[in-house]
Amino acid sequence: MNQWLFASLVLAICLVPCACVCIFAGPLAGLAALEVASALTTAILMLLAESFRRQPFIDLAVVFSALSIVGAIVFARLLEHDL
Amino acid sequence: MTWRSVVAVILLCAGAGLGVVATIGVTVMRDWQDRVHYAGLSSFGVFLISLSILVRESFSVIGNKALAVGVLLLLAGPVMVHVTLRSGRIRTLGDWRRNVDEESR
Repeated sequence: MNQWLFASLVLAICLVPCACVCIFAGPLAGLAALEVASALTTAILMLLAESFRRQPFIDLAVVFSALSIVGAIVFARLLEHDL
Repeated sequence: MTWRSVVAVILLCAGAGLGVVATIGVTVMRDWQDRVHYAGLSSFGVFLISLSILVRESFSVIGNKALAVGVLLLLAGPVMVHVTLRSGRIRTLGDWRRNVDEESR
């Protein structure tokens, strides 16, 4: 296990508390946790691409980062009113 | 061990550390306004990790795309924080523009 894979493992473990906040806290706290989790997932995808030395894997991180930004903004707009 | 790998490991540790700190903050903080601060911090962690990949790979396909992802999240982080706080303000206290319109009449 190289350092890139180890860092991705550490960040993957960090997704668990974010998921707990999303489930058990309120909707606005869950949105903040979702934004942190999406940034962590982007970092994990980049680290996996670097770890396995597979250049096409970095495209997943590019697409995920763009979609996570759009998703967070849409969630924020929806949370302005009671769902 | 070259200087590039040393710098890459330092940036990697800093970026992963910021990710861990952001996770602890968003989990431990009591109020949702406090938790939103750490959403911006996590994007800085991603930027440092993308810099570490760039230092290791130089300007290759994976290096360029990692830099693009890092810069994108770095620029979008404050926007997402602002949108989240705006959404929370409207959800908890109501739309302030409606009050301004009523006062102007």
